[in-house]
Amino acid sequence: MKPALGQSLLRLFTVQGSWNYERMQGIGVGVAEEPLLRPLVRNGDQTAYRAAVARGAHFFNAHPYLCGLVVGAAARAEHERAAPEQVERLRAALCGPLGSLGDRLVWTGWLPFTTALAIAGVALGLGLTAVGAFLVVYNLGHVALRWWALRAGWAHGLRVGSALHQPLLQRAAAWSGPAMALAVGLALPLAARYLAAPFPAGARAVLAGLAATGTALLVWRRGQLDGLRFGLLLLVAALVAGQAWR
Amino acid sequence: MTLELQLVLLAWGTLVGLDLISVPQMMIARPIVAGPVAGAILGDVATGLALGVVFELFQYDILPVGAARYPEYGPATVAAVSAAQAGAGSFGLGFGVLVGLTTGLLGGVSLHLVHRLNARAVDAAAPALEAGDPQVLVRLHVAGIVRDAARAALVTGVGLVLAQLARVFLAGAYTLRGVAGLAVAGAAGALAVGTAGTLRRVGRGPCLRWFAVGLAGGTVVAWLS
Repeated sequence: MKPALGQSLLRLFTVQGSWNYERMQGIGVGVAEEPLLRPLVRNGDQTAYRAAVARGAHFFNAHPYLCGLVVGAAARAEHERAAPEQVERLRAALCGPLGSLGDRLVWTGWLPFTTALAIAGVALGLGLTAVGAFLVVYNLGHVALRWWALRAGWAHGLRVGSALHQPLLQRAAAWSGPAMALAVGLALPLAARYLAAPFPAGARAVLAGLAATGTALLVWRRGQLDGLRFGLLLLVAALVAGQAWR
Repeated sequence: MTLELQLVLLAWGTLVGLDLISVPQMMIARPIVAGPVAGAILGDVATGLALGVVFELFQYDILPVGAARYPEYGPATVAAVSAAQAGAGSFGLGFGVLVGLTTGLLGGVSLHLVHRLNARAVDAAAPALEAGDPQVLVRLHVAGIVRDAARAALVTGVGLVLAQLARVFLAGAYTLRGVAGLAVAGAAGALAVGTAGTLRRVGRGPCLRWFAVGLAGGTVVAWLS
């Protein structure tokens, strides 16, 4: 089964390649699960295999790095001849917890934590070294998480819920928020100094004032004004001012 | 800027756009990576790094969960670095941010369209999928990836055209003071968006204290260095 796990892991790196509003990650999860289901073909009879492939491609949505957990668990359940309804229930039950855990661990934890350190590194003059270090360190965590998820899913099958209660995972989830907050907090003043450095003192004061006012506005108008629109508005205002004040 | 350089930027932007959602999500799509590499391609790493930091801060406004719609800042940063060549040194930053935000907006719309096209393809292949045909499944998936690559190339291409327009038409139309004002607005916007986005993630719980500690530490380090 080891080569199939490797093939499945490689396919998991493309799990969102066919993301759509119909089945979300379903097709990608089905593609990643397919190599693990091949042993279900017995004496040329593809009935069980095809039924499992069809189930594997049904609706699924979770954090992409943790999709391996459902791929491994569902494939193991299919091998153990679990009832089709049980496999469907397992997939449905994992969507929410895997989404929530992945968001906490990666999207609001590991990713902003490592990018903030990269920003701080660039601001402190490390340049491309900081960028390279970010790619290496981030992806060590990324690949390890994908590999752990697939192996844990395959090892636990229908009892995969117990894998989510691992102390290390719980501790990482608990610490990811504070670590991210600390790192981004550290990076922001350094980024401000780095971006303001080329400008004369007067322009730096304007920059600080605009940034403070903008932050207050964005926090106050949360839900009505997003970052992109705010940025564009500010630039259009600067373009108009630049034309008028020649 | 030569055609060869534009083509290399187009190839890089396509890889960056593909990385965001499809393959392999190793975060070359992050502006802090996409920008410096685009800068290195153009022989201007410093501008690439600066715009990488700017768009990375804009990225803090985004939480890519579920079916949320958001701008795409990877190819946008590549186009921004190209546009920034319109101004001397850091003063080109404003043109870069302007082109980058516009490209990011287009990128977000294009993602939505590709996801709808994927849904249509899944709908059309539903009978074969329900029959568990593995070939149809893989073909559908590969087609989705190809669609996303074409999308990323198109978005980067449009961004590079916008960058060219900015270099030709905008750069000469502004005084140095106007160009500097645009750069200040771009940097201030990024800092505001980055701070507000982080405050939203941090919330009012214990993480806020950690954020405050980080801010204090960062301020001290910035002051000392």
